[in-house]
Amino acid sequence: MVVRIRLARFGNKHQPFYNIIVAQARSARDSKPLEVIGTLNPFPQRPTNLSEQEARTARAYKEISLDRSRVKYWLGVGAQPSDPVWRILNLAGLVQQKQQSPK
Amino acid sequence: MFQWLDTEGAPLKHHIPGSTNYLPDLKIRGGSFDKGEPSTQPFPLNANFVSESILSEELRNEIHKRVVGQKKSIRAVSAELGVDMRRVAAVCRLVEMEKRWKQQGKPLALPYARAVHEMVPTTPLQDSRHQRQTPHESINDLPAHRLTNAQIFYPVSESRQFTRIEAGRVFSAAPARDHRIVTEEAANPSEAMSRITQNPSRIETVGKGAKEQPVLQPADVRIPHPHLVVHERQRIANPNEFQLVRKAYDARLREEEEIERDRKLIAQERRERQLSRVQPESSRFEFRIKDVVVSKETTGSDGRGARAPGRRYGVPSYDRKKGQIKIPTQVVV
Repeated sequence: MVVRIRLARFGNKHQPFYNIIVAQARSARDSKPLEVIGTLNPFPQRPTNLSEQEARTARAYKEISLDRSRVKYWLGVGAQPSDPVWRILNLAGLVQQKQQSPK
Repeated sequence: MFQWLDTEGAPLKHHIPGSTNYLPDLKIRGGSFDKGEPSTQPFPLNANFVSESILSEELRNEIHKRVVGQKKSIRAVSAELGVDMRRVAAVCRLVEMEKRWKQQGKPLALPYARAVHEMVPTTPLQDSRHQRQTPHESINDLPAHRLTNAQIFYPVSESRQFTRIEAGRVFSAAPARDHRIVTEEAANPSEAMSRITQNPSRIETVGKGAKEQPVLQPADVRIPHPHLVVHERQRIANPNEFQLVRKAYDARLREEEEIERDRKLIAQERRERQLSRVQPESSRFEFRIKDVVVSKETTGSDGRGARAPGRRYGVPSYDRKKGQIKIPTQVVV
């Protein structure tokens, strides 16, 4: 069976918060995983404490936390990231961008 | 009510600028205006409800001038004018906002503000050349710490020094210190206190794993302005050397501020080191990726350690339970 790196949804209704987890592919989304290796808060946060000049150009940010060494280990032993996690790992510079498959 | 306003309550119909307009004022005024001190008790039957002074316009502008114009620290301005540090910070933010609104041409509720300032007690700004500023409020208050709720019977031999530091250690169940260190510290308490306030990261911890917590420190270092205690000690020691004590106070304050600034800078740098910012061309957002550690130490033996990343499994969240406050009740400055 395949081991996947994927997201598990936490938080409340209309307030998602995701754990980035390593789990068996056939297990339920929110079941206890092999390991929690990070989090993703999909709500954009407004940067604060900026000067007026900075505030004009500042982008809202999304918070991700990730244990890079654990990600490298799990990728090394053949774990397969799901598409959203692939995009996160690409941002962190851990995997190449996925080629768009023809629809 | 209108009958009362026409007869007995007639003096309260229009307020006198600079004086409160509360019911007990009726008795003080005795029908004629301007007799005696205005009352600070809005409800005649509730003596415990006292209306507190608010900052006057001049004092408010002075705070903003000193912090923003003269670049003084919030701590220094708070001690000079006797205004809580949180209030000083709030005043600066609000005055800035007012300025911005004026710039944008937004209407301000000035008649309302004027009426309120005329009707509630205010703390005036004293001319600093002639008088000392009357403090607006108590600035060194400290809420009772949870650990001090316990009543502990702790016998101490007479030959031993037992200071507030030792009392804090007893409350947090930390082992007693060596007698020699305690005696040395008791000889120079100011230095002992500043050593703690300047190096908060070196405070000893007790307990293991998730229960690890710092040893309870004495109130002298937990109060908002520990440097004032040292200042008071110096003042009592040198009663006739006002200038000298004042100079020492300024120097100490500057030193404390520098150390605090350095500490904040180091903490900020450490945070930045663990954070990488990615701004993809194709996205509206910036992504801040924080490095975390997943290991046996952080997750704990049962996998529920609080230091590991992510929401926990099998730990109920009580946020829908009764009595859970979700609206922030205070602003941490």
